[in-house]
Amino acid sequence: MTGGASIVAERLSKTYRVKVREPGLAGAFRALFRPRYREVHAVEDVSFRIEPGEVVGFLGPNGAGKTTTIKILTGLLYPTGGRAEVAGFDPWRGGAPFKRRIALVLGNKQQLIWDLPPEETLLLNRAIYGLSDAEYRRNREELVDSLGIAGVLDKPVRQLSQGERMRCELAAALLHRPELLFLDEPTLGLDLGAQEAIRAFVREYNRRHGATVLLTSHYMADVTALAPRVLIINRGRLLYDGGLTELADRIAPVKRLELVLEREVDRADLERFGAVTVLEDHKATIEVPRRDVARASARLLAALPVADLSITDPPIEEVIARAFAGEATKGVDAAERAGDVGDAGGARGAGVPEGAPSPTAAAPPRKEAE
Amino acid sequence: MTASLRAWARRYGALIRAGWLVDVQYRAAIVIWLILGVAQPAITLAVWWSVAGGGEVGGFGQADFARYFFAVMLIDQATLAWDIWYIDRWIREGELNFRLARPMNPLHEAIADNLAYKGKSVVLIALVWFLIAVFWPAVRLPFDPGRLALAAIATTLAAAIRFLTSYVNGLLAFWTTRATAIAELHWGVSLFLAGRIAPLSLLPPAVASVAGVLWFPYMLAFPVEILTGTLTDADAILSGFGWQLVWLAAWTCAYLFVWTRGRRRYGAVGG
Repeated sequence: MTGGASIVAERLSKTYRVKVREPGLAGAFRALFRPRYREVHAVEDVSFRIEPGEVVGFLGPNGAGKTTTIKILTGLLYPTGGRAEVAGFDPWRGGAPFKRRIALVLGNKQQLIWDLPPEETLLLNRAIYGLSDAEYRRNREELVDSLGIAGVLDKPVRQLSQGERMRCELAAALLHRPELLFLDEPTLGLDLGAQEAIRAFVREYNRRHGATVLLTSHYMADVTALAPRVLIINRGRLLYDGGLTELADRIAPVKRLELVLEREVDRADLERFGAVTVLEDHKATIEVPRRDVARASARLLAALPVADLSITDPPIEEVIARAFAGEATKGVDAAERAGDVGDAGGARGAGVPEGAPSPTAAAPPRKEAE
Repeated sequence: MTASLRAWARRYGALIRAGWLVDVQYRAAIVIWLILGVAQPAITLAVWWSVAGGGEVGGFGQADFARYFFAVMLIDQATLAWDIWYIDRWIREGELNFRLARPMNPLHEAIADNLAYKGKSVVLIALVWFLIAVFWPAVRLPFDPGRLALAAIATTLAAAIRFLTSYVNGLLAFWTTRATAIAELHWGVSLFLAGRIAPLSLLPPAVASVAGVLWFPYMLAFPVEILTGTLTDADAILSGFGWQLVWLAAWTCAYLFVWTRGRRRYGAVGG
């Protein structure tokens, strides 16, 4: 039972058997007669729940298992172990009724018909999803307006810019107004403006329809802008499930004091206040524990010739990188620095201690009347 | 018509429309494929024409060969199957992913694509045949609606069998990167056993009898022989339809088996 959740993953695993190819001609010859295989655990024992209306970011380096997990949840891949339930369906067996409730957008593979204008893919999807004329008109109009694609619907897809193409791709994928969106790198290769347009659209779609969104991205800005909650996966294992801010608090519980000084000062003078991470000419950055930031700032202003002072959080990219570095060193470092980093289903990350933030740290947005 | 049938009619309508619109973009390429497609039977006809000379080879005179290979050109286009190339690419390059996320088996897209393409090419070849027949009596067929109807049914079944062989072969890409090589082998065998190089009655009896229990002749030679009137014996025609149904059922089972197993194996490449 999902207990009302949109997505439930319970100890999901996916293992591939991969042929091992030895280098050289002799190796190739041996492989012909005595092929050797090795098992690759793309996803291992991953558990989480996502409530209706939540937007969750799925983070991890290349090959971490994000896309494999998404493909299991959308019924494309058969899990080797564990159980998934999405919108009340077993994704593998859900068939057409399940597929009508979800949308999968892959940033690196498009469904738009390359040689025809996007309008033709919309017409095709209208028939495939069996939309009535009224549904089609209503949904199309809403998507065309919010994605700003009225001017490009009649141009062949191959003549569109990458940003225009992705916006049309979203229109094609969401024409049937799905309640669950699986977005795999939707901003891949787009310029900043185009990325922002996609983010604004996803935010609006989620707000307007109360849709659940699971989003993978390499661009941290996508995640920080959209997803209050993140799942972090590496080498097939879930390392963290919780709020983005809690992650920063645990992994890097520091603030940055960025200083512009009136004259050069010695590093030793700065180190009295915290860890100096940058010192160039008249500029310096010092990291101080979050709880000491007010006191340290006041002392610093009194003691040093400060022309300008700003207080910032460490960039989330760095926080995530630290989380992965911690995991790579069997979590010892991360555990010491972070206190506790785990995942909702019982911490199973390599060497990561038990005790996780709430699996639903982020409150789902309000579902508005349609 | 029930709502479900109407929905499927709309889907096929939309898929065929999209197929046509894409074909219009590639009209020059399609003309070249058509020419290449009819070139092989045309060349084979030229060879047999000169071999037959003024006499007969195995009961086939020049005019018989001409009718046979004109029919091969038409039925070959009507039963053409290129699906292996698409399915192999869908699987290997991850283009199957979005298709699997839609509430429709990708098989329907392939069937509709076949209908879209063949609708055009068959009409075009039949028209060209008709025009040539005006000037060249050798390739005229006696008008016989009953035989034309039987030929149409046999051609439809042949197209279904050939489509399934190609589609199932394409699905082997779930396991191997050599699916297209298997297709080439299949094509090579079909040159002889489907009646592409010579009418089956000209093959050595042992080869012809092996061919008779395989699916190859039922993908091409059988409808060709009905259309040209070479096959008139009621029992032989009935037996041919029987074999067509047997092989259609066998390849449908093969499809279900390979699709179910292959999907479980799918690595969902591409991201």
